[in-house]
Amino acid sequence: MKVTIKQWTGVASWKWVANDDNCGICRMPFDGCCPDCKLPGDDCPLVWGQCSHCFHMHCIVKWLQSQPVNQQCPMCRQEWKFNNK
Amino acid sequence: MSLKPRQVDFNATWGAIRDTIRGVITLDHVPRTTWNDRFSDVYSLCVAHPEPLADKLYAETKKYLIDHVAQLLRKVQEDGDQNLVKNYFHYWSQYSVGSEYLHSLYLYLNQQHIKVQKMSDAEIIYGIVDPSCTSQGDQMEIGELALQVWQSNMIYPLGQRLVTLLLEAIDLDRAGQPPTIPLDAVRGTILSFVEVQVYKKKSQLQLYVELFEGRFLNASGEHFKRDAALLLQERDVSLYMERVKAKIEEELYRARKFLHASSLQKVAHRCEQHMVAEHLQFLYSECQNMVKYEKKKDLSNMYDLLKSVPNALIVLVDTVFDHIKNQGLSAIHNLQGDSVHINFVENLLTVYEKYKELIKEVFKSDQNFMGALDKACNSVINHRPNEGRSPCRSPELLAKYCDTLLKKSSKGISESEVDEKLTKSIIIFKYIDDKDVFQKFYSRSLAKRLIHQQTQSMDAEEAMINRLKQACGYEFTSKLHRMFTDMSVSSDLNNKFQEFTKQEDIDLGINFGIYVLQAGAWPLGQAVVTPFALPQQLEKSVQMFETFYHNRFNGRKLTWLHHLCQAELKLGYLRKTYVVTVQTFQMAILLLFEKSDSLSCKEIRETLQLNSEQFKRHAISLVESKLLLSDTEELDENETNLRLNLDYSNKRTKFRITAAIQKETPHEVEQTINSVEEDRKMYLQAAIVRIMKSRKVLKHNLLIQEVYAQSKVSFVPSIQLIKKCIESLIDKQYIERTPYSSEEYSYVA
Repeated sequence: MKVTIKQWTGVASWKWVANDDNCGICRMPFDGCCPDCKLPGDDCPLVWGQCSHCFHMHCIVKWLQSQPVNQQCPMCRQEWKFNNK
Repeated sequence: MSLKPRQVDFNATWGAIRDTIRGVITLDHVPRTTWNDRFSDVYSLCVAHPEPLADKLYAETKKYLIDHVAQLLRKVQEDGDQNLVKNYFHYWSQYSVGSEYLHSLYLYLNQQHIKVQKMSDAEIIYGIVDPSCTSQGDQMEIGELALQVWQSNMIYPLGQRLVTLLLEAIDLDRAGQPPTIPLDAVRGTILSFVEVQVYKKKSQLQLYVELFEGRFLNASGEHFKRDAALLLQERDVSLYMERVKAKIEEELYRARKFLHASSLQKVAHRCEQHMVAEHLQFLYSECQNMVKYEKKKDLSNMYDLLKSVPNALIVLVDTVFDHIKNQGLSAIHNLQGDSVHINFVENLLTVYEKYKELIKEVFKSDQNFMGALDKACNSVINHRPNEGRSPCRSPELLAKYCDTLLKKSSKGISESEVDEKLTKSIIIFKYIDDKDVFQKFYSRSLAKRLIHQQTQSMDAEEAMINRLKQACGYEFTSKLHRMFTDMSVSSDLNNKFQEFTKQEDIDLGINFGIYVLQAGAWPLGQAVVTPFALPQQLEKSVQMFETFYHNRFNGRKLTWLHHLCQAELKLGYLRKTYVVTVQTFQMAILLLFEKSDSLSCKEIRETLQLNSEQFKRHAISLVESKLLLSDTEELDENETNLRLNLDYSNKRTKFRITAAIQKETPHEVEQTINSVEEDRKMYLQAAIVRIMKSRKVLKHNLLIQEVYAQSKVSFVPSIQLIKKCIESLIDKQYIERTPYSSEEYSYVA
C-alpha cells in the first residue's frame, strides 16, 4: 500500500425531514424551534405520530395535556400515537 | 443678700454699675467682689419694686456705650491715616473682648428681660417678620448692643477710609514690599467687619461683603488685568500658563492670610476670569502645537486653567479628538503583508492605551476627554477608506486577529498572554459599528477551527465567547454557542458509535470519527455539496454510520460535507514514512495513485466526479506541496498529467497540507459581506414588525428611531435600508399607511 488511511474525520450536517415546513400547532418553521425554546435542534426535537403528522415535541405534548379525553392528532383527528419506528 | 424684689435707688446703683462697666469694657482690673456685687445690682434693678427698672438700665447702658465708642473714635483718629488701622485694631480687640464680658455681667437682663421679647430661631429663619427691622427697634442683648453701637458709631464713619488703607496694605503685600501696617492688624480689621455681625441670625457677612469684599474684588480685578497684560507681553503661552497658575496659588494663599474663608472662591474666580477667560484666544493659539507634540506639562496646566471657565474646554477637547483620530488613522494606514490583521489591532490598541494613559495623567480622566477618546476611536475604527466608498475592514481584521490567537499555530505565546490579548481585543470590538459583520467572520473562523481541530484550547474559545456575550448580549453569541453544543453532542455520538461497532463486531478498516452539525447553526455556505465518488476505503464507515444514525434519530437527514472532512494519511512509498493531514478530496486524489505513479487529470476527475473548480483547487494544492509533480506549467484539466513525487522529502515527518485550502478566498469574504446585508434586512423587518405589533400605530420618524435603537447593539443601519424594509413590509401587508397621513403606519393583524 502506498497510501494508507490512518484516521478519517467525517463531517456531516443534519436537518429534519418533515412532510411540511411549519409545525401545525405553533406555525413556526420546523427548522426553528417552538415558541418556548430559544435554540432549535436537539433541544427542541420533532416527533411523528402514527398518522404521519409531525410537530414540535413540546407543542404536541402541550396539546395532549390540554385534552383530558380523546387524545387526537390536531391535524386529522385520528387517535394520537407516537410513532417509534 | 436676698433675691426678693425691693425698692432700689436707680441713680446710686447705676453710678456704681457705670464705674464697673468702664473697667470691664477697657479690660481694666475688676475685683471679683465688685463683679459679683454689680451682677446682683443688675438683678435687683431688673426686679425692682414697685416698678422694674430694666428698661431704664438698658437705655442708660446704651447711652454709655455710645459715648464710649465716640471717645474711642476720636482716639483712633488721633494719629492720622498712617496709624488708623493699627489703632482701630487695637481698640477693636479691646472693645470686642470687653463687650463679651459686659454681656456676661448683664446675664440676668439678657436672659429674663430681653429673650422674652425676641423671636425664636424658627421665626427668623422662616421669616414671619423681617428680623432686621425688629432688632433695630427692639432691645438687644447687651453683647449685641455693644457690637451694634460699634458698627454704627465706629465703622460707619470710618469704614471707607479703613478699607482704602487696607487695600493699599494688600497691594503692598502683592508687590512683595515690607508692610507699613502690621499684618495681624490688617487681618483683624478685615475680620472685624464679620465679627461685628456675629449676633445676626441671617446674612452675617452682609457688612463684610458690602463694605470690603466688593471693593477688594474690584481692586484685585484691576490688578489681575494689569498683571495679565504684563505677562502677555512675553508672548509665550506655556510660560504664561505657568505664571497664571502660580498667581492663582499665590492669591489663594493671600486670601487665606487676610480674608474671610468665604472669599477664597470669589478671588480665584476673579483671577480666572481676568487671566484666563479674557485671554482664551491667546491660550488656544498654542493649543494645536501642544497637543501635536503632546507636551504633557503644558496640557496639564492648560486643563487646570480652562476647566473652571465654563465651556472653555471645548476647543481643547476638540483638538485632542482630532489629534487622537489622526494618530489612529496613521497607525492603521497602509498596512501590508500577511500580518495586516495583527498590526491593525495591535497598533490601534497602542494608540488607545497611550491616549487613555495621557488623559488619565494630564486631564485627570476628565469625562470630556474620555468622551473625545471614545469618539476618536469610534471614527478611526469605523473609518471607510477612499472617502467612504470602500467598506470598513475592521470587523474582518479583528475576527482574523482573534482567529490567529485561538488557532493551534500561534506558537511562542503563553496561554495567559493569549488571554490578555483577547481581553484587549474586546476594547476594539466595542467600538465597531458593524458588529454583525464581525460576528459573521468570527463564526466562520470558529467553525473552521472546530471542524479542522485547530483550536488551541476550548477554555480560551469559551472565554472569548463569554466576553462577546458580555459586550453584546445573548442573542449575538447564540449561534456560536450552538456550534459548541454540536461539538459535545458529536463526541458523545462518536463514543456511542464505537460501542455500536464493537457490539456488532464490525471492522470499519479505518479509524473513524465524525462531527454531526446542525444545518442552521453553522456558517457552512449555501449548498456547497459537490458531487463526489467516495473512495471505497471509506464506504463502509459512511454506510455504517448512516444506519446507526437513522436508527437513533428519527426524521433526520444527514448530508455529508466532504469538503470539510479531513484525514491523516500514512505515506509508505517514500524513503521515510510520513504522516500527513489532508482534506478528503486531496486524500481521494492521492489514493488513486495506488496502482500507477502517473495519472492524467482527466482520468482523476472522471473517477472522482469532482467539479472542475474543486478539482483544480485541490490538485494545485498537492502540486504546490510537491507531493505531486505536474508536467505542464499551468494545470490544465484535459492535458496535464500528474506524477507521484517519489523523491519527496520533508524535515518533519508529520505535517498538514490543508492550510492552503482552508484559507479564506476573496470570494468568500465577499460572500460573507453579502450575506450580512441579507441578514440585516431580515433583522430590521423583524424589528419593525415587533415594534408595530406592540404600538399598533406609529409615526414614521418614531418608528425609525425605535428601529435604530434596537439594532444599534449589532450594527448601525442606514435610514435608507430601514425605509426599504418598511416598504417591503407594506408590500407583504404586515403594515399599512394610515389613511389620514402618509407619515404614519399601522399594524395589520
